[in-house]
Amino acid sequence: MKKIQSYFYILLLCIAQVGFAQQTPAGPQKTAISITNATAHVGDGTIIENCTLVFEDGKITTLGGAETTTKGEVIDASGKHIYPGFIAPGKSLGLIEVDAVRASNDQDEIGSLIPNIRSIIAYNAESKVVESMRPNGILLGQVTPKGGRISGTSSIVQFDAWNWEDAAVKTDDGIHLNWPGTYRRGRWWMGEPNGFLPNKKYQEQVVEVMDFVNNAKAYGLAAAEQYNGPFAAMQGLFSGEQRLYVYANGEKEIIDAVTKLKAAGITHVILVGGYQAHKVTDILKAKDIPVLVNFTHSLPYFDDDDYDYTYKLPKTLVDAGLTVGLQNASASNFQTRNLPFYAGQAAAFGLEKEKALQLITGNNAKILGIDNNYGTLAIGKSATLFISEGDALDMRTNQLSRAFIDGRDISLETHQTELWKRYSKKYEGK
Amino acid sequence: MTDVVDPKDVDIYRNLAGGVTTIQLLHGSANPIGGQSAILRLKWGEDAEGLVFQKMPKFIKFALGENVKQSNWQSYSRFPQTRMGVEQVFMDYFQRAKEYDALKKSGKPFRYDEEMETIAEILRGERFISCHSYVQSEINMLMKVADKFDFTVATFTHILEGYKVADKMAEHGVGGSTFSDWWAYKYEVNDAIQYNAAIMAEHGVTVAINSDDAEMSRRLNQEAAKTVKYGGMSEIEAWKTVTLNPAKLLHVDDRVGSIEVGKDADLVLWSGHPMSVYTKAEKTLIEGAVYFDLEKDKVQRAAIQEERSKLIALMLDAKAKGAKTQSPKQNQKPKYHCDSL
Repeated sequence: MKKIQSYFYILLLCIAQVGFAQQTPAGPQKTAISITNATAHVGDGTIIENCTLVFEDGKITTLGGAETTTKGEVIDASGKHIYPGFIAPGKSLGLIEVDAVRASNDQDEIGSLIPNIRSIIAYNAESKVVESMRPNGILLGQVTPKGGRISGTSSIVQFDAWNWEDAAVKTDDGIHLNWPGTYRRGRWWMGEPNGFLPNKKYQEQVVEVMDFVNNAKAYGLAAAEQYNGPFAAMQGLFSGEQRLYVYANGEKEIIDAVTKLKAAGITHVILVGGYQAHKVTDILKAKDIPVLVNFTHSLPYFDDDDYDYTYKLPKTLVDAGLTVGLQNASASNFQTRNLPFYAGQAAAFGLEKEKALQLITGNNAKILGIDNNYGTLAIGKSATLFISEGDALDMRTNQLSRAFIDGRDISLETHQTELWKRYSKKYEGK
Repeated sequence: MTDVVDPKDVDIYRNLAGGVTTIQLLHGSANPIGGQSAILRLKWGEDAEGLVFQKMPKFIKFALGENVKQSNWQSYSRFPQTRMGVEQVFMDYFQRAKEYDALKKSGKPFRYDEEMETIAEILRGERFISCHSYVQSEINMLMKVADKFDFTVATFTHILEGYKVADKMAEHGVGGSTFSDWWAYKYEVNDAIQYNAAIMAEHGVTVAINSDDAEMSRRLNQEAAKTVKYGGMSEIEAWKTVTLNPAKLLHVDDRVGSIEVGKDADLVLWSGHPMSVYTKAEKTLIEGAVYFDLEKDKVQRAAIQEERSKLIALMLDAKAKGAKTQSPKQNQKPKYHCDSL
């Protein structure tokens, strides 16, 4: 009986391990770590061969060639690669767990112009979807509310934390605005064709957005008699402390959005999407607007677009001299672990590999305003980086062996690796 | 599905440009027993009939789980609402089809029934089931139903918990056509793991990687590469998941799926390692004819650009001469996938 009982407890332990699969966050870095003999992909377009990288107390302290002196624990990474942690903008990671389960959905609040809605307080640091990002090298993300015209305020987090306060890297970093479209989907249930129709309310909707923006600005110019949450939430846009992420894809929409929003006095405007951004690169350049281009693994919108339209768009925009990052805001959250491969796809269609890497590291960090600490391998910056056995932008060779966030040695296990191991055991001896 | 093929769907061309030559078309998964599927060869430029695989093996779509029990709908009144009910739908239909077939064979008068004719084909081993499936309980259930009626399920598609019952699947002889890395979109894919393909393959299941997505289907070579990344399949076995294995599962491996003397020349010329993200398809051939050519594509782009410019010039000219104008329309087609209704 005792034996049966102990078996039972072992079984219970196994179940508990699978049932509570979130990995325990790593403790602070205690000793110096040196990674040697690696190919370091800096994230700014350059490579350091035979690199020795040392980090202490969460910061990179040394970065150099083979002659560099090591310190503390030495990880020999001969034949391997070091990358800065990849950064995923515009995602509702941690705000929704299972797309079809409403109870798990915290990504889209009711209301159309709600910049005061803040993602950070709903961010689930223990999400199983979030932890599944890490084994592919995605270590940071911009947690973003979805839906409506102004969806709310995002925050930038790192992906190994006990709670949202621990996770926060930059709180309330930006506001997300879905610019109206000149076309809209036909409402087939109301007898309209099941395609795209001109949006007759476009001007009206633009006016509504700009009225809101201008009123918010006016609200901040003097001490208001009555507090207005949504207007108050917009003030960082005019002071330059916060960034405005405007989602637009068509040529006309892009021109309207960046022209009107800049004219309204918003310091940092970032274009998200930009399907036709290559047609208006002059305007974007003149107004200093960076682009978070759509992920490459999406289909061309129109029948007569080139089959590789989405694959080559990042290169077109980089070649035009814009600051370009990469996002997959419109994809399911779980797909975000494919971020490196979207960049790889851009390289397959002409963008130099290190520049492709820049899209999801140095450039994303710069665009999101966290480049003082993240995005590239540089002395003084956070040791948020990983070691891959091979080229991390290629699904064929992306294979992480170690990853660090702020120098903390994080787990690369997930709910899924645990099930993998559990069921591999099932067939042992068969 | 052969009745609704759109041979001018530009995604056919885009798939060719990704090195895809043969596809199985399946409709949505709202019903336990669905309709007859189609197997097409992507002969861009042919009419709908010309795309259909010659002597196309007969398949039918089945489905299990959340979609057929309408878990994510607002209505709660259609049977089945549970996996328990789904089993009974199958039991009922197969029993009726068995009796129908027996009556028909007996020579006695019978009332012709298109549904029963189709289901009886399954029982006689003349039509094969591709079954949308996710969790292990329902996978096991359908195999048991098949055992009772003495037939074999051909392929479980999606099959994200196939890894939990790989031994049972191998014993039944059913194939697994799975996503490389999808999960977290429904409650029933909570335990979906990207190691699924590797585990199933290791335990004797014929494994294919499926797409269920107009975008992903044009990058099957990359999806195959993920089975190496996740679970460490050998590159040869991984490559089979998008070539020979799906050909076997679709019963067309006598014609396509591998490069072999006597088989059709359905070939792709890749610019590099076929499973690398950096590789492009340069030429795609079906039965020896080139249907995609990267160089020719460049020429066609220029031609399209020229034609567009001409048309715009003509329109501007007509407008200047006072012709009637109309507001622009956008030609964007909605996409359908497994959950579309």
